[in-house]
Amino acid sequence: MLEMSNWVMENFTRASDAMFIFQDDQVLLMNDLAKDLIDQSQIDLDYLKAIVLTYIKRDHSESDDCFGCAIKGQLSNITIPVTLNKDSDTPLSFSLVYQQLSETQNVYTITLKSLVAKQRVDQLAMQKSLIQYINRAHEDERKHISEDLHDSIAQGIFTAIMGIGRLVSEQATTSKAEFANQGELIQNQLREVLNEVKGMALDLRPSALDDLGLVPALKTLIQRLQENTGIKITFINRLQAITVPNDIAIVLYRIAQEAMSNAIKHADTDEITLLLLAHDKRVSLEVIDTGTGFDTQKMTQPNGRSLGLLNMNERVKALNGVFTIDSKVGEGTSVKVEFPVRSAHLEA
Amino acid sequence: MADLAEQSQYDSLVQKIYQDADFDFVGVAIQDRLNGGQIRWRHVIGNISQRYRRIILRTGLGIAGLVIRTGEPYFDNHLDQQPQEFMYTPITVVEKLTAAAAIPIVDPTTQLVTGVLLAGYRDNRNVTHATIAKLGYYLKHSEHHQSS
Repeated sequence: MLEMSNWVMENFTRASDAMFIFQDDQVLLMNDLAKDLIDQSQIDLDYLKAIVLTYIKRDHSESDDCFGCAIKGQLSNITIPVTLNKDSDTPLSFSLVYQQLSETQNVYTITLKSLVAKQRVDQLAMQKSLIQYINRAHEDERKHISEDLHDSIAQGIFTAIMGIGRLVSEQATTSKAEFANQGELIQNQLREVLNEVKGMALDLRPSALDDLGLVPALKTLIQRLQENTGIKITFINRLQAITVPNDIAIVLYRIAQEAMSNAIKHADTDEITLLLLAHDKRVSLEVIDTGTGFDTQKMTQPNGRSLGLLNMNERVKALNGVFTIDSKVGEGTSVKVEFPVRSAHLEA
Repeated sequence: MADLAEQSQYDSLVQKIYQDADFDFVGVAIQDRLNGGQIRWRHVIGNISQRYRRIILRTGLGIAGLVIRTGEPYFDNHLDQQPQEFMYTPITVVEKLTAAAAIPIVDPTTQLVTGVLLAGYRDNRNVTHATIAKLGYYLKHSEHHQSS
């Protein structure tokens, strides 16, 4: 029996909610989390008691129509939503639960369901770093576009202008063959610039996605990545006749792009497989590489790469999708995303 | 026929350089006369993967791309410190080279840059102006050999 009460006590001490036991105005007992909360957040116990007493008073006041009614008499506890540290940067929201243990000795407990609040704080911190990441990614992208415009496109056009200028000023003195040669040189330069402009437009937003749909857009992306990196990318498409809604198609495309770009940068792999499947009322996309892999446990701490993944996760969740990453060191990585698709999108 | 002769010329060129000098990797990327003038790594020796076969060289990106764009020789001993290109892995990254030197291949009749000869190390040995000169000598010799 003694051992049993030891366990009960242990359970109380380590509970995931902050708990206080009072007799009259004095704290008899509080658990670890309650102590932490008082230490860290300067919670005023008198304030908590005041809240509870106000509620009790209100519930038992003469003006309350339900006073003494059968249901109320059986209620042994009350739950009150409270927000502590309202004025600080991180207000804490709790459900405060008041429960009477002994009426004669006036012993009662106050429990603060704190887990929700803690999660919320974590979530806020995560959101903060995610927003920072997205802002930085936007800035980086702009920087990249700006550099590309300046270094390759402006440079290429400038060279062509110089070439034409020379051609014009020297036309009287140059031979026909040399003139033709110079012309071809300038033509080549301009063709190169044209290709770069097309490539940039493709990197930014593939027009194929809007005009032709997800599969042709993915095929174009895969071909470009193969030519750019030499990695063999196998595309297995079993989407059949399902038309994927536009907003889901965009997210699928971006996830394919991000996952493949991660594999190219980090996985040191020679092969990537992309699977696009249709199930009953679902579409799924999987990007599998046979590269170095990573420890998914270590990815819980935000860094550049995990924030990229987290951002993918957020985009998927916003459309009711499920996002999973499977990876082990030395065994490659698999990124999978799945969306519900209404059967209305199923074409006969 | 000219294409075949040219191919065997570059094949023997990279082989000769690889045998004579102790580079870890030697390659020639050359413009395809068909296919809209794509530049691909056609003649390669000392490679650690087959990825070079699928790469289409983009001008301006990586050492080889810079040489193609500028028509000037180029070398770099700190390839591992280069920022990674966006969605592009140059041959030096694919082949894990730490240092590389590259010179342009110029068509003798049109004077246009049609390709690049690149050689490099994986073990932190350095390349210098002398490496550029050496590559230039081999290329010139092979062209001379070809025309005679």
